[in-house]
Amino acid sequence: MSPKDIIRQALEENRIKLLEHEAFELARYYGIPTPKAVLVKSPEEAHETADSIGYPIALKIVSPDITHKSDVGGVKLGLMNREEAAKSVAEMLKTVSTKVPQARIVGVVMYKMAPAGLEVIVGGIRDSVFGAAVMFGLGGIFVEVLKDVSFRISPVSYGEALEMIEEIKSARILGGYRGQPPVDKQALADIIVKTSNLLLDNEEIESVDLNPVIVYPQGAVAVDVRVILKKG
Amino acid sequence: MSVNGLSKFFQPESIVVVGATPKEGKVGRAILENFIARFKGRIYPVNPHYDEVLGLKCYRSIKDLPEIPDLAVIAIPAPLVSAAIKELGEKGCKAAIVISGGFRETGTPEGAALEDELVRVARDYGVRIIGPNCIGIFDNWSGVDTFFVSKMKRPPRGHVAFISQSGAFASALMDWMAYHGIGVSRAISYGNKVDVDDVELLEFLGEDDKTKVILMYIEGFKEGRGKLFMEAARRVSMKKPIVVYKAGRTARGSKAAASHTAAMAGDYAVYRAAFKQAGVLEAESFDEMMDIVRILLDQPLMKGNRVYILTDAGGVGVMLTDALASAGFELPLTPPDLREQLQRILPPHCIVENPIDLTGDTDDERYIKVLELLSQRSDVDAIVVVALPQVPGIKGTFVDYVIKLKKEYNKPIVALTIGSDVAIETARRLQEGGVTVFESPERLAKALKALRTYSLFISKGLVPAK
Repeated sequence: MSPKDIIRQALEENRIKLLEHEAFELARYYGIPTPKAVLVKSPEEAHETADSIGYPIALKIVSPDITHKSDVGGVKLGLMNREEAAKSVAEMLKTVSTKVPQARIVGVVMYKMAPAGLEVIVGGIRDSVFGAAVMFGLGGIFVEVLKDVSFRISPVSYGEALEMIEEIKSARILGGYRGQPPVDKQALADIIVKTSNLLLDNEEIESVDLNPVIVYPQGAVAVDVRVILKKG
Repeated sequence: MSVNGLSKFFQPESIVVVGATPKEGKVGRAILENFIARFKGRIYPVNPHYDEVLGLKCYRSIKDLPEIPDLAVIAIPAPLVSAAIKELGEKGCKAAIVISGGFRETGTPEGAALEDELVRVARDYGVRIIGPNCIGIFDNWSGVDTFFVSKMKRPPRGHVAFISQSGAFASALMDWMAYHGIGVSRAISYGNKVDVDDVELLEFLGEDDKTKVILMYIEGFKEGRGKLFMEAARRVSMKKPIVVYKAGRTARGSKAAASHTAAMAGDYAVYRAAFKQAGVLEAESFDEMMDIVRILLDQPLMKGNRVYILTDAGGVGVMLTDALASAGFELPLTPPDLREQLQRILPPHCIVENPIDLTGDTDDERYIKVLELLSQRSDVDAIVVVALPQVPGIKGTFVDYVIKLKKEYNKPIVALTIGSDVAIETARRLQEGGVTVFESPERLAKALKALRTYSLFISKGLVPAK
């Protein structure tokens, strides 16, 4: 589906938050690297699909009515083969429908877990005065406690995106720290530019959160993508 | 309307004061007095109750005016304003400053309705509006002066323009600048800005040859105006620096601003990004605002990042070194050729390292000789002269040399003085000669940093995002 179709469908169904697989698809359309992810609706489908995704696999329940997935048994990590995957999907569907019987369940999204790396956040908002704007920061306490983030108004050039990365106070951590190799700033700049484009092209989007983006010495991947549409 | 469209506001040949009155203490009188005092064009008071006001023939209505005035200044109760705008439109007048309050800022449905009506009538009749609920324009070159605060001292004519979202702050700052002898070109406070706003004013001042530095006090832009501001600011910044003080930066401050001019202060982080992208220099405090304005007004651009300190006080040299290094400047070690030259002209107890310390027994001559050397060098991007004039050897002749060298080599030279009468007198002379003087090393460093930031913006040229 094209971005417009994804958004139209969500709005028609009165959803202002895109479902996991929709958000991943939207991000991929703009060239933002995401883990391989597939929506399955049954343990059988999970069994068939698992090998093509690769391991370890993570599962997340997909439902427009559930916000805190792990509270209702809607998250499962570290599955190493297709039998485990199928069994876990069966359990998840059952547990969730018992715990929240009124929730509509679309299925389960299966995706390949990304290896550990440095976690950063790339975000996009629509400001009422300046329009689309993008944000960059390091994950965890850097954003939450220290509010160490940088912003730019869209459109953002590749050079400006690199500036944003260098501008945060904790930028030195990206350059290699305690024997860690430096991370791929180019890959991050690329994601920032693409996030900016995604916002510029789709007026209906209110905000985007790629949180976290895991960045490596080479490459980066957005392992969680949250897209919120404008109300009404 | 083109930028030139605003020229009727700033350079009218004739004006009408609607609501002119002889009554003491009234806004309509204060404004008329301002125009009588300094405006060279034709002035028409309008008031249905008088035949003459302050010695001028007063007209009963706008219709009766003997010509179409270029600019109208309106100081009558809010419910009467729309009718006056209609009459002005019919007469052919296209520019009005609406001083009157009682509109949307009151927070009442009546006020909002009056404002909507005003906007509608102005649009229908093609009348451009500054205001309502504003103090308007103080134009130091044309004599347009609607600042009805008669106790405000008028600053000397000069080259700083000021756009302010707060009228009271605008008048206070004019008064402050008058006291400090900083020359002003034009100041504008637009109140509820129903029509002419920051974007157009910025464009106008960008083209204005009397304005060299534009200072803005902003609480927030109206919805969707941010991008237009950025575009205008980017264009103008290439020609002259824009310094912004953004109020409402904290969550609490934002709230105060929102109830102040019925404008949203917006998210500060986003504003900061926008300023940076547009080449706008942001001042984070009142002190910084005026320091940056002063340095940009007087100093040429910095070609690089290398600063040399010339001092007669070792301690102040160290303080400055810390402040400048913290601000990101490079304080190079004196290169061998310069070291040799310095050793040749200075007594052996002087320190030829950077900071170059002439020590407490210095005279004017040492300053002059060293400054000659430093000014000529292409590896010196700015010079900070610390002249604590309390030392007995200094008679003050070095001041004229500093001024002369700065002009001759077109290199930034700023000075630091600390002290009472002698220091203040030295500072005054330096300042008059275009050498920006500071009292605090930290403030000097921050201001110099702004000069450097602006210089970089200009030298990098504009690389707009695609």
